[in-house]
Amino acid sequence: MNNAAPLRSATKADPVITEIVRNCLIAATEEMKTNLMRTAYNMIIYEALDFTVGLFDAEGNILSIGLGLPMFIRGIADTIRAKLKHFGPDGIEPGDILLTNDAYITGSHLNHMTFSVPIFHDGRLVAFSGCMAHWPDIGGTLDGITTDIFSEGLQMPIVKAYRRGVPNEEILSIIQMNVRLPERAMGDLRAQIASVKTGEKRFLEMLRKYGCDEVLAAIDDIMAQSEARARERVRAFPDGVFEAESFMDDDGVAAGQRVPIRVKIIVAGDQMTIDLTDVSQQVSGFYNSGETAGKSCCGVAFKCLTSPLDLPINEGQFRALDIILPPGRVVSAVKPAAMRMWMTYPMTIVDTVFKALSPALPERVMAGHHADLLVGRVNGRRPKDNSFYIYLGGLIGGGWGAKHDSDGRNATIAMNDGDTHNGPSEQVEAKYPLLVERYALRPDSGGAGVFRGGLGTEQVVQARADIRFNAQIDRVKCRPWGLFGGLPAAGNGVAIHRFGEDEHNFPSGKAFNLVLHSGDAYILRSGGGGGFGSPLERDLAALENDVHQGYVTREAAERHYGAVFVGDDFVLDRSATERRRAEMRAQGLPVPEPDAPPSEDEHRGHNHPHPRAAAHEHLTEEERLVMALSHRCCS
Amino acid sequence: MRAPVAHQTRLSADVGGTFTDVAVFDEATGFLRLGKTLTTTRRLVNGIATGVGKAGSSFAEAQLFLHGTTVAINTILERSGARAILLTTQGFRDIYEIGRVNRPESYNLFFQKHVPLIERSRRYEIRERMDAEGRVLIPVDEDQVRAIVAEAVKDGIEAVAILFLHSYRNPAHERRVKQIIEAEHPGLFVTASHELSQEYREFERTSTVAANAYIGPRVRRYLGEMRGHLREAGFTGDFFIVQSSGGLFDTADAQRACIRMLESGPAAGVIGTKVLCDATGIRSVIAFDMGGTTAKAGVIHDGQVLMTGNSMIGGYVSGLPVQMPMVDIQEVGTGGGSIARVETGGALRVGPQSAGAEPGPVCYGLGGQEPTITDANLVLGRLSADRFLGGEMPLDLAAAVAALRERIADPLDLDPIAAAEGILRIATTKMSHVVRWVTTERGLDAADFTLVAYGGAGPLHAAMIARELRIGRVVIPIAPGHFSAFGMLVTDLRRDFVSTWFTPLAAASFGRMEEIYRAMEDEGRGAVRRSGIATANVTVSRAADMRYVGQEHAVTVELPMELFRNEDRAGIKRRFDATHDVRYGHAAEREPAEIVSLRSTVTGLLNKPRFDHITAGSDAPPGEAARGSRPVSFDGRGFVATPIFDRARLLAGNRLAGPALVEEHASTTVVFPGDAVTVDEYGNLVIAIARS
Repeated sequence: MNNAAPLRSATKADPVITEIVRNCLIAATEEMKTNLMRTAYNMIIYEALDFTVGLFDAEGNILSIGLGLPMFIRGIADTIRAKLKHFGPDGIEPGDILLTNDAYITGSHLNHMTFSVPIFHDGRLVAFSGCMAHWPDIGGTLDGITTDIFSEGLQMPIVKAYRRGVPNEEILSIIQMNVRLPERAMGDLRAQIASVKTGEKRFLEMLRKYGCDEVLAAIDDIMAQSEARARERVRAFPDGVFEAESFMDDDGVAAGQRVPIRVKIIVAGDQMTIDLTDVSQQVSGFYNSGETAGKSCCGVAFKCLTSPLDLPINEGQFRALDIILPPGRVVSAVKPAAMRMWMTYPMTIVDTVFKALSPALPERVMAGHHADLLVGRVNGRRPKDNSFYIYLGGLIGGGWGAKHDSDGRNATIAMNDGDTHNGPSEQVEAKYPLLVERYALRPDSGGAGVFRGGLGTEQVVQARADIRFNAQIDRVKCRPWGLFGGLPAAGNGVAIHRFGEDEHNFPSGKAFNLVLHSGDAYILRSGGGGGFGSPLERDLAALENDVHQGYVTREAAERHYGAVFVGDDFVLDRSATERRRAEMRAQGLPVPEPDAPPSEDEHRGHNHPHPRAAAHEHLTEEERLVMALSHRCCS
Repeated sequence: MRAPVAHQTRLSADVGGTFTDVAVFDEATGFLRLGKTLTTTRRLVNGIATGVGKAGSSFAEAQLFLHGTTVAINTILERSGARAILLTTQGFRDIYEIGRVNRPESYNLFFQKHVPLIERSRRYEIRERMDAEGRVLIPVDEDQVRAIVAEAVKDGIEAVAILFLHSYRNPAHERRVKQIIEAEHPGLFVTASHELSQEYREFERTSTVAANAYIGPRVRRYLGEMRGHLREAGFTGDFFIVQSSGGLFDTADAQRACIRMLESGPAAGVIGTKVLCDATGIRSVIAFDMGGTTAKAGVIHDGQVLMTGNSMIGGYVSGLPVQMPMVDIQEVGTGGGSIARVETGGALRVGPQSAGAEPGPVCYGLGGQEPTITDANLVLGRLSADRFLGGEMPLDLAAAVAALRERIADPLDLDPIAAAEGILRIATTKMSHVVRWVTTERGLDAADFTLVAYGGAGPLHAAMIARELRIGRVVIPIAPGHFSAFGMLVTDLRRDFVSTWFTPLAAASFGRMEEIYRAMEDEGRGAVRRSGIATANVTVSRAADMRYVGQEHAVTVELPMELFRNEDRAGIKRRFDATHDVRYGHAAEREPAEIVSLRSTVTGLLNKPRFDHITAGSDAPPGEAARGSRPVSFDGRGFVATPIFDRARLLAGNRLAGPALVEEHASTTVVFPGDAVTVDEYGNLVIAIARS
């Protein structure tokens, strides 16, 4: 028998078994996730949860995804389909562990090593268990921008890392030869294998307990139930064609040249179509992603609107969604497009979908969010033992958009990531020659509105020894937008502050190949979320509290919200405020400030021979550190 | 200090939201008596006194009173705590609000982040700084501290929390600031993070110390009032509180580290399980506690209660972390009141919505319309319509059947009995996942454990869960509905310490390690000594959180004393490799390890109540234990006539063959066909589950 043929069972599903299987699938992927997190060697997996695990049917359809990384929602499924195609239906055997990091299959960057094991029952291929995890290093250039895939590191085609249970030592040695931290890489590899094996074990247990046909029938039913729920919600949406656009600041190569993002959504009956044909063509810099990522971001937007809390995440939820995405777009890039920062643009596409649908679904969408992970890439050697380290800094969280009934969230990780945790500053300082001077909310960074956008954050990190620093942040100029009269938020930003000099800002967020010396600092600033509804309608008690808590300054309250205060405190003069608001309404205020014009940026540069004043030269490291800390703290 | 005295009668009271459970133990006679009564919210001592009376004792007779309370956790959940301020390192005022920036509900645009207990306007930055080595970079600005606190006191604040970066490494700044404030404002509740947690992670430590400040004044008042009321009721003995670690601490400590008493009831249940297992020689047990709204599971592995270092109050999604050692208890929203529903597409769901006590299950007749797990048990004959809560509350079987038919069976084209069976099967798998979680998370297999089931609904479902997990033995302890109160009676004095010390194992100085452990242990011994009660013995156990160099996550490794006596570095490494291998399925013997934190537990062992032997009988239960029979449905094989037994009248050595029901005041034990029950010498029901 052809072992990859569809296995749709003729058995009618039992509703009780169906619900038990549903719970088992969720529990199995949770357990895969836990095993991966607890055994992984690197912080990106353990703290940032930059991974995805899942169970899939024999054709690669998603049965359950354990988060992980929302924007990788389709990554493993598409990888399994490619592996099936590559090996042919009879080319996969029990005990095989399949591996690839092909960026154009996963849709993402080469760091995403993606493993899967075929699950056999009575000699028949019935399912797959899969795991993607982000390795901190996969070779390639450390600093700066890349413009093709070859400079981004080791490309592992579709291979068998294990063949019938036996490790393929040649493949493993190729990996070890090509990465900077081979022991970590092997630790993560072991953790991933343990994770996929856990999925296999639990799936087989379920088949033994409830019967193979019964489980497969139950799975069909679970998919049908998920589909029915999603369709029910889409059917309630008004029919129509909805469009919106936004832009990315630049691709890191063509400085200041905007990259257009245009989306079109068609709602017809119980089907939704997202058309990304008019999203920009692929770009020169490393902001491209593959078709899988383009489709994933449509899936993420669709799930947020139709079934945010439904579990497990499975293929059925997405049957009411059609996606139009021709190849060669910035989210359907083809070889040899550079992909390292694959995650940045899809987040803005998700937000743009919400923007397009806002007139139709005001109670389901949110205003724009900061839409960037705010990654600071740091590497260097520890002074105490000269050991090399790579620190994926940042991930500081930013503001989320306001909604029809509530303010946006402060300081929360961007859409690409899910249960991602930032790193404790105490841990960062213990592991790297860095000092976190400040990690704080940014007052006034949330867009004003009836409901205010969430606040972004600011993190100031001082080098205690020479470090190399890169940041590749976007949405500095295209600020998170408001909806229904809500104002836009502050955008993202990156700056460096060299000891004894003024702060230097990078106007479009790209700061490459910088060397910071002891006492210098880098500064990451995340944007806020857009406001919802006119700020002139914001509840006065809520506004007073904003000012009292310092989320909104008095000046911003006066300018955007029409506040008139009694004395120096945060207490409003209510009638004066109402009068002021009426005047502002009559004048058509407030109006959002326009986005900053495109600028010729200096992406590189700002590395100069260290022009420290002679007075600084004779300071000890300790004195310099304290002096820098004292100067910056009080600005 | 008074001379330590021996105690003859000890009382324990587990005060919950609805019921107060009391247990009384008389050392002279070995008698254990129990009482359950309604909680008297206004004056809790009244309810406790009623319970004590029901148990046939009085406060005047007792020398030792052990108390578990939900006052601390409720103060947080209800947000009814003190006006408090937070003093923190400059640059870190917002860390309490920023948290870890994660989005557990990754697709929910309306997801709610945690809300701090101390709002932003009450969080102040102090000029001071330590580095990760504990070196002072900027000395603490004492004048600034004085000015801020003086101003805040004028505003009417009652409590101050202090969190400075790297205080786990060097607490000097936190200590100094606390000293300054206490000297100037003796009435304030002042708490510093290093007193509660000496582990790194500034957000979690901030959250812990802020919660302590927030609940401190109220808990202090509560304990003071309780002491006063106890005195008025004639109690002259010692008063101890149960911690989330399952150990006791005295009220002086309890008034400072209030946060340690958050989960006293559930922890006491696990400790009770451990003592029961020690008495009966069982080494590895899953403690399963099922009530009206949730099911909880804890683990005892090889005689040790498994602990965790971190927990989220109010749940993972929007909860507040507390970082300190406590009994590791996992919870799922499945209880007797969990509602079954048919959702879009014909999906049958059970919970997490609960009918609670009001309106409650349909069969309560209090207005509940949606069928629950309790309704399913009634329809299947497992619960008695006229003997629920000792007959105090008749149940409406017809209404339960009608609701099941209308809302579940008809839409799914099932009969009501199949629907009820299905609801219980689904609930069973959900609860099994939680039970399995607590074991597999550590690389253990649930099938190797005994299941001890308690809580009102535990004995009803234990056999089904055991089958699901291929567990061979179930134990239903005496008085499963009062088990937490019993657990409190058998706990010990206990102090837990953790101190973060990032050090490669190869370079770790045994001298320095000994100093850190000694400092923790001296403090622990001091606390036990100060408590002023006779302890049989003081024991100390050591552990370390370790990982391979480069790894992020650490595992806790138990380290026997001889490793330190012999300065056996290789032995420590071997213990670590072995623990890692159990937990993760692999070890890397050749890779270097590092220490993250040192842990120490000091226990002052109290004399334990001996378990009361019940009267011995023969294999066959006495005639007066038989309560007739009723039809019960098991596993969809139709109703079978099932004999019913009155637990109070069973004798040691009695054997029952399933199917059978064993009824008692607050619970019913369901014995499946093929399973076999033995009543042990203490009156526990030991059920051998038939292998399928």
